[in-house]
Amino acid sequence: MKRVNQQHEATESQSSQEIFIPDFCNVRMVFAVVVVAQLLAFIFALGPQGKSSDQWLHLSLISLFVQWVALSNSALLCLLRQRMRNLSTILISGICLVLVELVTLVAGEISFLFTRGSDFAMLIPSSWHVEFLIRNAIISAIVTLLALRFFYLQYQLKINIVAESRARLQALQARIRPHFLFNSMNTIAGLTRSQPELAEAVVEDLADLFRVSLSDAGGWLSLNEELQLCQRYLNIEQIRLGDRLNIEWQKQSFSEDIKIPALSLQPLLENAIYHGIEMLPDGGTISIDCRCSGNEVVVVITNPLPLRRTPRKKSGHHIALDNIRERLAVCFKHKASLDIQSEKGEFRVCMKFHTSMNVTESVLS
Amino acid sequence: MRVLICDDEAPARLRLRQLIDEIDGIEFVAEARNGKEALQRCHELEPDVVLLDIRMPGIDGIETARHLAEHNDPPAVIFTTAYGDFALSAFEANAVDYLLKPLRRERLQQALLKAHSLNKAQLQSLLVEDDFSAARTHLSIHNRDSLILIAVEDVISFQADHKYVTVHYTEGESLIEESLVSLEQEFSAQFLRIHRNALVANDRLTGIEKDASGQIHAIVDGLVEYPEISRRHVSEVRKLLKKKTR
Repeated sequence: MKRVNQQHEATESQSSQEIFIPDFCNVRMVFAVVVVAQLLAFIFALGPQGKSSDQWLHLSLISLFVQWVALSNSALLCLLRQRMRNLSTILISGICLVLVELVTLVAGEISFLFTRGSDFAMLIPSSWHVEFLIRNAIISAIVTLLALRFFYLQYQLKINIVAESRARLQALQARIRPHFLFNSMNTIAGLTRSQPELAEAVVEDLADLFRVSLSDAGGWLSLNEELQLCQRYLNIEQIRLGDRLNIEWQKQSFSEDIKIPALSLQPLLENAIYHGIEMLPDGGTISIDCRCSGNEVVVVITNPLPLRRTPRKKSGHHIALDNIRERLAVCFKHKASLDIQSEKGEFRVCMKFHTSMNVTESVLS
Repeated sequence: MRVLICDDEAPARLRLRQLIDEIDGIEFVAEARNGKEALQRCHELEPDVVLLDIRMPGIDGIETARHLAEHNDPPAVIFTTAYGDFALSAFEANAVDYLLKPLRRERLQQALLKAHSLNKAQLQSLLVEDDFSAARTHLSIHNRDSLILIAVEDVISFQADHKYVTVHYTEGESLIEESLVSLEQEFSAQFLRIHRNALVANDRLTGIEKDASGQIHAIVDGLVEYPEISRRHVSEVRKLLKKKTR
């Protein structure tokens, strides 16, 4: 559900659901406001003020004023933020500006009245009344506009990052080779009349595979489900390749809590068949060893390769592997690895990943 | 019209047989599971048309078509392929037709009809005009009563002698009717010229030696008589040996 929402935000960046003003009720945000307000106060205090009698007193009064204005605004924005959700960016900016100006004016006026008759009266002389208020208003307007601009850019950046990582994941999403689809169709066409039950089984397996392959990016399956998909894939290839394909499974039963990005293992088997078994006149054995030790799952897939004196075009071979590797890096935050070894007519790929990964936190958090 | 089917997948062969049985005037001759079998069967049975899968283990479809073209009376070749195997247009001109799997009966019928209407001369010109760029994996030698296929990786050396080239390979030697120059070009990645009349497999070349008369010979794994290295090729041989020891 959470993911669906995020996607919604990402696709409709200008939508009314999300607001570019940050949440001022957040403690960290309040702290940031205090720090920024204090920095602002330092700037004012450091400015040329003529000969002030007491620098520290001057700074503390400015700080008091600035913090007062900043925190009052934060409190108001905290209350108003939810209500402004459905408004346009420009309207929200306008409201914020007016709000800040009002708070500044009120604060200025109160300060002025409060200092009358006290020791601090000379800080804001009566002749200065209007000018004092106007200066405050201009300063707060400039600071507010800068802050709004900053919030807006930050919000845009966040949207872009979410959209980019989603697009990246989508691009990396394993796609079953079209070659396999068409070969399977051909198998079905060949079996339909002579062995209709077998053709039926191929159709069922094919449907399961493509249901996952065509679904949205970022889907996770339990390791057991992924292994079942692999089995379905191998069923189809078994019918197509006959005796040439021999499979050796070594697997234990895994907890349903162990999750893996959908179609992370199946492409490794597809590679083993496409580059290995299919290229050998007598075929060979693919061995799959899948085990869990501690909080790490290790899958080792081994297949024979044709021996060639000079390898023909090698390109294309590692694209699928690089793709899976990058996908693992994105999904497991580098708590996964994919190693390959190729020697003397044997190709070996070893995938390791951590089981402690929390699915919800790992995707686009 | 007599048709031979070649595909490495049993269901694909089954499908082709079913379709062929339904078309009038077409006779199924035999089926083969790979290029090697197809070449043997074609040599024995001389079909009119070969339906050839492209992606096959060992000798693939394209190379099989090349070897078939060397027949005196070559069969018409129709390629069959699944999506995305090869850039189809690249070799479109070299076959009578190509069909996409799963095959349609009408398309197959059309292709066979087209093959039928071509005379032998036209066929030959189709196949001989070859711009297949990849090196072959096998050499085919057509004797009067048999077809010998030699895997290029089993070849130790090519040695020219007058009109013919002798192929020395792990299981013996044969004469072939190809020029040393074209062999050198095709297999430049695997063989090195060591003399005006000799090419040697890179991985069989283990060293050089000088005989009593000062002539340099190549030490070649698998050859009894070490071939001569001509003066102008010595540096190339040394370079290769140096690279191998590294």
